[in-house]
Amino acid sequence: MRTGASIGRSLGPKLWDDFFKGSRLACARLITLVENFPESVPEIRDKLIPRQKGAIRVGITGPPGVGKSTVTAALARRAVKAGHTVGIIAVDPTSPFTGGAFLGDRVRMQSLIGDPHIFIRSMASRDGHGGLSPSTPYVADVFDAFGMDRIFIETVGVGQAELDVLTCADLIVLVLQPATGDIIQALKAGIIEAADLLLINKSDLSGTESLLESFRFLFEISARPKAIAAPPVLTASALHNKGLDEVYKEVEQLIHGHVESGRIREKKRLRLEGEMKSSVLQDLWGRFSALTNAPEEMRTAAEDLLKNGRSPYPFIRNLCARITMEIRDERTNRKDHG
Amino acid sequence: MKGPTVKTMDKKAWEKKFRDSGLREADFSTISGRPLEPLYDWDDLADLNVKKELAYPGEYPYTRGVHPSMYRGKLWTMRQFAGMGTPQQTNQRYKFLLEKGQTGLSVAFDNPTLYGWDSDHALSIGEVGKTGVAVDTMEDMEILFDEIPLDKVSTSMTINAPASWIFAMFLANAEKRHIPFAKLRGTLQNDILKEYIAQKEWIFPPEPHLRLITDLMAFCADHVPQWNTISISGYHIREAGSTAAQELAFTLADGFAYVEYALRAGLDIDDFAPRLSFFFNAHLDFFEEIAKLRAARRIWARHMKERYKAKNPRSWLCRFHVQTAGCSLTAQQPEINIVRTALEALAGVLGGCQSLHTNSMDEALALPSEKAVEIALRTQQVIAFESGAANVIDPLGGSYFVEKLTNELEEEAERYFRKIEELGGVVPAIEKGFFQREITRAAYEYQMALSRKRKISVGVNEFVNEDEKLEIPLLEIDESVEKDQIRRLGEVRRRRDNGAVRAKLGALEKAAAGTANLTPFLLDCARVYATLGEISAALISVFGEYQEQPFF
Amino acid sequence: MADKKIKIIIAKPGLDGHDRGAKVVARALVEAGMEVVYLGLRQTPESIVNAALEEDADVVGLSILSGAHMTHFKRVKELMDKNGLGDRLLTGGGIIPTKDQDKLKELGVGKVFGPGDDLQAIVDYIRTWRGSGGA
Repeated sequence: MRTGASIGRSLGPKLWDDFFKGSRLACARLITLVENFPESVPEIRDKLIPRQKGAIRVGITGPPGVGKSTVTAALARRAVKAGHTVGIIAVDPTSPFTGGAFLGDRVRMQSLIGDPHIFIRSMASRDGHGGLSPSTPYVADVFDAFGMDRIFIETVGVGQAELDVLTCADLIVLVLQPATGDIIQALKAGIIEAADLLLINKSDLSGTESLLESFRFLFEISARPKAIAAPPVLTASALHNKGLDEVYKEVEQLIHGHVESGRIREKKRLRLEGEMKSSVLQDLWGRFSALTNAPEEMRTAAEDLLKNGRSPYPFIRNLCARITMEIRDERTNRKDHG
Repeated sequence: MKGPTVKTMDKKAWEKKFRDSGLREADFSTISGRPLEPLYDWDDLADLNVKKELAYPGEYPYTRGVHPSMYRGKLWTMRQFAGMGTPQQTNQRYKFLLEKGQTGLSVAFDNPTLYGWDSDHALSIGEVGKTGVAVDTMEDMEILFDEIPLDKVSTSMTINAPASWIFAMFLANAEKRHIPFAKLRGTLQNDILKEYIAQKEWIFPPEPHLRLITDLMAFCADHVPQWNTISISGYHIREAGSTAAQELAFTLADGFAYVEYALRAGLDIDDFAPRLSFFFNAHLDFFEEIAKLRAARRIWARHMKERYKAKNPRSWLCRFHVQTAGCSLTAQQPEINIVRTALEALAGVLGGCQSLHTNSMDEALALPSEKAVEIALRTQQVIAFESGAANVIDPLGGSYFVEKLTNELEEEAERYFRKIEELGGVVPAIEKGFFQREITRAAYEYQMALSRKRKISVGVNEFVNEDEKLEIPLLEIDESVEKDQIRRLGEVRRRRDNGAVRAKLGALEKAAAGTANLTPFLLDCARVYATLGEISAALISVFGEYQEQPFF
Repeated sequence: MADKKIKIIIAKPGLDGHDRGAKVVARALVEAGMEVVYLGLRQTPESIVNAALEEDADVVGLSILSGAHMTHFKRVKELMDKNGLGDRLLTGGGIIPTKDQDKLKELGVGKVFGPGDDLQAIVDYIRTWRGSGGA
């Protein structure tokens, strides 16, 4: 029933019709298609993008166990109360050994279930190198076109995962907890510089004050340009429902400020540029590889370079020159045929 | 320990013969995965200080038993856990069991009751009376214990999160029948920590639950002196898939946590500690289970005396109830469960339990039928009166193997205590998911061992009867039970003085926001027939609700 | 595209807190390369089907040891059908008498597993169902 062929068929007018009429099942199916069939993404996005209204994407990230899901649920509830429609993308890591994934974030979002203004989707990171699934931004596109105007993207992990979230979020909330030493990891990963808001969750635990102190010190010595203010640092206890009204208010204020200042637009533009660049590169490389034996040549060259202790640059220059020639030839051919 | 002939014996020669004799391809570890030697001897007990580690029964550290005379003085209490359908039906079952020679009652409540919800709560649908009896108000208590002499029969109640207000209903009923509180004997499970760890039936976050428990301890010390206010339970931890050592360590760690909480609340240790009791599982691995129970007594006594400085020897006693392992029962060839249960029960007895529940053979299929319950009870009677197991105190004491295992389990438990300490104590360890992860991992490993046939379950992964037909009669709970219960609850709500109910609930809420002992307020609510769910709601409005933390 | 990940919801409807089976099975399914959305305890049929819909799950697995299986399976199945999820597999496990297993089958519920059933059998059953193109 749900084989590849039938899924191909299901991407028909009926699905789109249902989707634009607001069918949650159609929305869920479209997400599945985006997730499972990367080759169908361009076709799907062609239809989605004209319907997108520029939903704000808030990345919520931080080390495991700090209470990201509970924080996400709390922010989502407040966003709905303020009149927003919310999509939540909760990403958990895929096991590199089995390819399976345990997606447990819904347990902490119990209180949101059944709210028609909230749509929760769990995702495994799959081949996203332990971070976000590569299809995450497109799932956000689906939500945006479905009418959600606040999209929360929750990711777990320390390091690469947080940097991934930068590429698909307009605003980043970094959640930490006291007395775990996570701050060191976060610093190493460079995520603190990228965060728009720092949230110390579980502030009822001891060590909150000293973590706050570390941040103050950090921002004092930071080489951040004076024009960019240090991100606000807030404390909360999501489990005990303390301090979250303030966090939500701050998130909305930041969104408002960044929209006004054009910073979010800038981020969206940079994302689009980045996406174009990587697509073009991918396409060119794909075509070049198909025409030549480049991947194999690279392997041989690498072996050779290693053996003889030589620099790779002559080989690189040579390869680039050939790519340029291929493109030129292709253009000439096209002219000939045209 | 070395006997005079030891020096003349040649162990190396035996070891060689052992290795050369051809060994079976099998897993010789315990059901918990503990590796075992093929033979234990005096070398294993070379360091054993008999006076310090074993002593005599009824003597510190009680390794050999809590009483000097053990079963020569008094047999264990045969206490079958029972409850199903309506309070009337359960009352009938109690009378049946007492008639058959049972010596104590044990109440099983249905799921809505265990969660503190009324039978007409939206989420109670389909659950009323299913795995126990439904109790919504004091009226249900009146029916449940009708014609049962509460001053003569001891009553155990398996309930935790709403234990204090279920007990308040029990007390209010006794009061109505003019039975003095001082004559009531029994046990309330009331062990909330293992709910977070294993059974998952909580209402509030840990802190208010711990306060309610401490309040009840203080109240009972003054007014219900023969009542065991808490039965610190490893049973459910084991059922959730833990190893024997985890069951032992986590249960005793919970016990220490209750002690510490009560001490912080200003109670005197010798006022409440003698009323603490325990509840362990008796699983299939015979010797490991016996060693576990012996180790429990020794560890508890040592910590109570040396760490918490209890003076009254009764505070040092680890008295416990044992139930055979429900998770060891199989749906396949269910009659074999009688044998499993008999072995487990024997381990409980040889481990020196104070009371015992034997599971019925059909419990992997449904609630136990009357016939199955009778066989289970008869199993205990065979052990008590035919097997000779009750004739000699701690008959396995001094066994090289059992003493060695007892030592090993104690050491493993101590390692766990240190780990829990490092995590900041039991409650922080719960919040970090430590216990939950340890247990889930052990459960998965055991299941995989079955899957790979490293461990054998007769009739399940080996010795399977193909095309097995089920031939034992099963008990079914009539769907009308739910309707009846809800109807009667509605009648109570109409009949009672609703003004008084509102006033008492209001007073409870106010008290909950303060620091007063809540037990008298709960008793007031019970007396005016406030429902279980109404009392829960009043407390939730002050204490909040606990959210599940999914740990794998 | 048989290699596409199988997504499965694991939930405990109703009130019983015995989640050993649910967790062990969830883990075995993850080990078998599936994506398991774990909903946890105290789920209503509505919350389960809502999750199945949002997750576009292939399979819904319920674990019930409370004796309330007839009520819960029936309601979940009805809601799945009503929400366009009639083509997904509803399966589960718990202490479920043979007689009730037959009744569940008539309702359109897949195989239900009991204590002692092999984990591999559960994995195989789901894989076979998916491989054969569903119910």
